[in-house]
Amino acid sequence: MVVLAGVSVIVFALVHLVPGDPVRLALGTRFSQETYDTLRERSGLDLPLVQQFFTWLGGAVTGDLGVSFRSGDTVTALIAERLPATLTLAFASILVALLIAIPLGTISALRPRSIIDRFATVVSQFGISVPDFWMAIVLILVFAGTLGWLPSGGYVPLGEDPLGWLQRLVMPAVVTGTVSGAVITRFVRSSVLEAIGADHVRTAQAKGLPARQVFTWHVLRNALLPLVTVTGVQLAYLLSGVVVVEIVFSWPGLGQLALQSVQARDYPVLQGAILLFAVVFLIINLVVDLLYTAIDPRIRR
Amino acid sequence: MRATRPLALAAVGTLALSACGGGESVDTGGGGGGGEDTLVAAVSAQPDQLDPHVTTAYASFQVLENVYDTLVVPDPEDLTMQPSLATEWETSEDGLEWRFTLRDGVTFHDGSEFDSADVVYSYNRIIDEELSNSFRFQNVESVEADGADTVVITLSQPTPNLLERIGSFKGMAILPENAAEDLDLTTEANGTGPFQLESSDASSTVLTAYEDYWDGAPSVDGVEFRYITEPAAALTALQNGEVQWTDNVPPQRIESLGGDDSVQLETTPSVDYWYMSMNYDRPPFDNRDVRRAISFALDREEIAEAAWFGAAEPNQTAIPEDSFFHLDYSPFERDPEQARQLLQQAGVTTPLTMGLMVTDEYPETVTAAQVIASQLDEVGIDVQIEQLDFATWLDRQGAGEYDAFYLGWLGNLDPAAYYQEQHQTDGPNNYQGYSNPQVDELLQQGATETDDDARKEIYDQAATIIVDDVSYLYLYNPDVVQAWAPGLSGYQIRADKAINFENVELP
Repeated sequence: MVVLAGVSVIVFALVHLVPGDPVRLALGTRFSQETYDTLRERSGLDLPLVQQFFTWLGGAVTGDLGVSFRSGDTVTALIAERLPATLTLAFASILVALLIAIPLGTISALRPRSIIDRFATVVSQFGISVPDFWMAIVLILVFAGTLGWLPSGGYVPLGEDPLGWLQRLVMPAVVTGTVSGAVITRFVRSSVLEAIGADHVRTAQAKGLPARQVFTWHVLRNALLPLVTVTGVQLAYLLSGVVVVEIVFSWPGLGQLALQSVQARDYPVLQGAILLFAVVFLIINLVVDLLYTAIDPRIRR
Repeated sequence: MRATRPLALAAVGTLALSACGGGESVDTGGGGGGGEDTLVAAVSAQPDQLDPHVTTAYASFQVLENVYDTLVVPDPEDLTMQPSLATEWETSEDGLEWRFTLRDGVTFHDGSEFDSADVVYSYNRIIDEELSNSFRFQNVESVEADGADTVVITLSQPTPNLLERIGSFKGMAILPENAAEDLDLTTEANGTGPFQLESSDASSTVLTAYEDYWDGAPSVDGVEFRYITEPAAALTALQNGEVQWTDNVPPQRIESLGGDDSVQLETTPSVDYWYMSMNYDRPPFDNRDVRRAISFALDREEIAEAAWFGAAEPNQTAIPEDSFFHLDYSPFERDPEQARQLLQQAGVTTPLTMGLMVTDEYPETVTAAQVIASQLDEVGIDVQIEQLDFATWLDRQGAGEYDAFYLGWLGNLDPAAYYQEQHQTDGPNNYQGYSNPQVDELLQQGATETDDDARKEIYDQAATIIVDDVSYLYLYNPDVVQAWAPGLSGYQIRADKAINFENVELP
């Protein structure tokens, strides 16, 4: 709560500090001074900033985040409309990322400096350094264009058309998942390597435990802790919207909404979105902490 | 500038129809409205909202064009004003009273009858609430009904371009009386147009045919506007049959798609113009010779090529070639020698540094600014390109914090819209600070002259002086570029970029 209160002050201040006039942006270039003044007054932008803040805060506490300057819709409705698409893409991407990272990271840690390890390094370097924009365009040109296997973009709710939902999810999830997976792979590799070198693992090996058992109980479990942390960070990042991928694949997520509101200086939407991201971050941190205690009995004490 | 309507990055695509036929290859799913016979159009952005009197976004008007009507409409061919909800009109001797006779048998989408009360309500809503287009009524004293089928507009001074003011786009739409009270106009619509609004969300806006449309029901069952921002993705969607129409094709592909007969690609010069403007408060840009030197230093052909890959017509005045009001006047051929001479004459020591403000809202201007910079470099002007986001750009323009900027005016039809606000002393959009009594007088005359030929003569004179003085440094008129599936018929590409699917038929 204290954190959220602090965040809301900072959010409000930052958003209003950025240069740019939402009224001029909304009116285009041809308008009369009277029109400008009327709209400014109607949007509440003529009031002192402190008063604007407390009006907004008062609403936010009761779940009313105000009305968008740009669309005239409530901020909560705009966010709610885009939340399912964002959640879908974030979780699908994390799934793809873990499917890449865990096997690749583990194998390369078990065989350091082998061909597989080199391959993993190259793959993860590729994932980190290749622009997601480029990767997205290439996928569209190949799979939607040349091969014609998948639609070029868009989003359909799962309940409406499960096959269409999956077809449209594959490419964006692969692009964001590859980027996140590349980051996570490195963490998996280093934490598995570290765990293998730990004293208790050598003890277990010395006791003559089967390699599989050593790996599952002594290596993997210890390597899980950093994995959970980095996965949490990646998930928080994905949930706050992946602007480029959303735009290229016409994916109606929060990233696009946030970008549109920045461009239009749509303060209420921007404040609402940033506040939501802060809440998401706090929740994920909490979940990560809870998982820690579940994985590592030492933390419980 | 985000003039009357912001620019959609017009570009066009082609259809390559890989593998599959018309529209079946890939499951297009999505919005699903209308019926079997629904046209899917890829547009580059989501409408910001659907209240025609409030929005200024081009993305909104792409949709609203098909939902609402105005009293008069631009002819798709030559953009002269033609009857629509008004069937005829007459002007009083003194030019101060216009009587519009309204069309019979027009109904709104909810079935209610259209009459004069709706026109009075709609216009007074714009005027009384000071909505975005209220400036279009600045000479209007009153809007009154005279019986159910006549509307009388009374003016404070003769206004020859009144029809353009009330009909050039759907921002002047006729809503049913009390629409703002009965409906949430930001998300709902009740017009008299060929299509009615079915739904609008973050992925697409769906319209269905209005069977009782006064000009006959549309040929298709509906239209789905799907938002595809990335041009390469829009082109792919057109090529594999997911969509049948788009105005969002990568500019660099225009040339190669032209010869591709699996795609119908069309271009036409638009009524938009792009220009450079210098700040008179920042010497030496107040010096006419310096501005003329810069104008002589530029090669407009190269700049247009850089911005639009050739899909633009270089023009040294504002009004495009196809318009009745076009003036064929191009005194500035690229001449670096003369440019250097003029600079010397003005007592400017080179290198002269000039900031050039561009915005990434219109990415093609960022590319073209680099060409401008290299051309000006040859005559000793060091151009510092300042790339800003549009909000910051507008702030700095408003505060006069720039040496020069590069932008466009979009969607103009009448010469007054091209020249008056921008070049009249203290005009609302005369940010540069231009002032020439002779131009002021001509613009004043042009605003009230009712004879077209006499008007053209007046604006030709004004434009010549404006060009010679380099109040604006005019660069080019970009083309409208659109593409659709081969075999799609009944659609007409228009210079004002209005997109009307009333008569469209699918292949």
